[in-house]
Amino acid sequence: MRKGSANIAVTRRLFLGAAAALASFLPITALAAHGASPLKVVETTIVDAPPEKVWAVVSDFARADWLPGVARVEASGDDVPDQARRRLVMADGGAIEELLTKRDAERMMLGLHREGDDVKRLPATNYTALITLRPAEGGKTEVEWKARFYRGHPTNDPPPELNDDVALVAVTKLQRAYLAALKAKVEQR
Amino acid sequence: MPALVAGIHAKAMRRVARKAAKRFALAWMAGSSPAMTATLFLSIAIAPPVSAAEAFVTAQGADALSIVDLAKMETVATLPIGGKPAGIAVSRDGARAFVTSPEGKFLTIVDAVTRKIEKRIPVEGGPLGVAASPDGKRVYVADLYGRRLVEIDLASGAQRSVGVGAMASGVAVAPDGKIIVVADRDDNALSLIDAATFSRVGTIPVGKHPFGVTVDASSARAYSANVESDDVSIVDLRARKVIATLKCGSRPYTVALAKGRIFVANQHGDSVSVFDAETLAPLDTLKVGEYPEGLAASGDGARVYVANWFSNELWALDAETLKVLGKAETGDGPRAFGAFIRDAD
Repeated sequence: MRKGSANIAVTRRLFLGAAAALASFLPITALAAHGASPLKVVETTIVDAPPEKVWAVVSDFARADWLPGVARVEASGDDVPDQARRRLVMADGGAIEELLTKRDAERMMLGLHREGDDVKRLPATNYTALITLRPAEGGKTEVEWKARFYRGHPTNDPPPELNDDVALVAVTKLQRAYLAALKAKVEQR
Repeated sequence: MPALVAGIHAKAMRRVARKAAKRFALAWMAGSSPAMTATLFLSIAIAPPVSAAEAFVTAQGADALSIVDLAKMETVATLPIGGKPAGIAVSRDGARAFVTSPEGKFLTIVDAVTRKIEKRIPVEGGPLGVAASPDGKRVYVADLYGRRLVEIDLASGAQRSVGVGAMASGVAVAPDGKIIVVADRDDNALSLIDAATFSRVGTIPVGKHPFGVTVDASSARAYSANVESDDVSIVDLRARKVIATLKCGSRPYTVALAKGRIFVANQHGDSVSVFDAETLAPLDTLKVGEYPEGLAASGDGARVYVANWFSNELWALDAETLKVLGKAETGDGPRAFGAFIRDAD
């Protein structure tokens, strides 16, 4: 039984590899189609640094090379919401494009939207995040990383690998990794 | 026309009643006689319980319907719905609320007075936008995935459908009951359905990805919030064409009309744009909670309510002064997509 399922997994990986190779010839288009039920994940952490110091890192949208798996960042557009874009060139060779949707220095909130979906990398679509900093006890900072997204399959009756649960697990894991990386980046100084 | 006259008459009656109540309250506060105070208390004791206006907020993450008392700005009841409820339509008489569950593929009929679930009706595909006919006899449900609008006859339970565009989202019925407007999201168009013949009589190209649609009180104009072009299309329903386009905030989702003004909820902008409905001049941009979605006005147009998906709140705005009047906590992921206000009895 175990052997059988491993074979299926390998086959699927090969198939996805072929799909990726094909997709790399296509222009990146924002796959706007998504379903009726947005999902939400809220993760928080405490960073041992004052909010201003954390905000300096979080709000620097163009230089987010501290994000896990990112080799370098290519920024474009004016550094204001709805214009600033960043292309996260990943260490594995892929790329993620994000648009700055919000930067509120007073409330220490930063919003971003992933442009274009890649369910091989993240089995979710239309990913939007809102990062909020709040003062915590002892001069520390509470960082909240909230996401809104849809499952990987855009319509009803999703296949098991692209259902709500898979998307929730993947995004939760991703955001925990983001927060851990932010904490490491700020606290190391 | 008679409906319009009746509407004006009812409005005038309400105004007179409100004035009288205000006069009474003022007299009381100014230090009226103990006898008068006693009379007031007596009248309160004798009068049947008057229910406050309520908001029926679909909390999609919580899989429930949050009922918010709008006088207290407090969630007073939570009804488990299931199937990830999103769309909502409270009948004009306030007797029932219709809730769509796109993941569960059903419509739930809620007795809005007793707050009990009356019935659950299966609807194939992805039921999302919903609206009730003015007489409360029929419910229209947009099937997001099936390119169709479903009509449900509540007395017989019979369903029939008419073809519309791709990813049918918002639905609004003109107050005169003659035309149903559907936002065909991925076709960048509105479909017009003749309610009497239940046939598609027109399609009108609008901005990119229209989601919420609203029709004005005189059944003359339809408004669509176009998520991807950051604007609102205003459609003349008789001429069947766009007569104006309003630039609003980032990712507009829904439109509400009150006090001669147009209100637009901007998801990414965390704001509500306000325009003069006559001159179409932009008046203000109000900061609201995070990721505003559902937007609706109270029956008298005094207030506008907005559901904030990310921060799990319902905010009350004064349609005249444009001030924030209050906030209520809701269940997780409030969408309130549709006519979610139930006016006071």
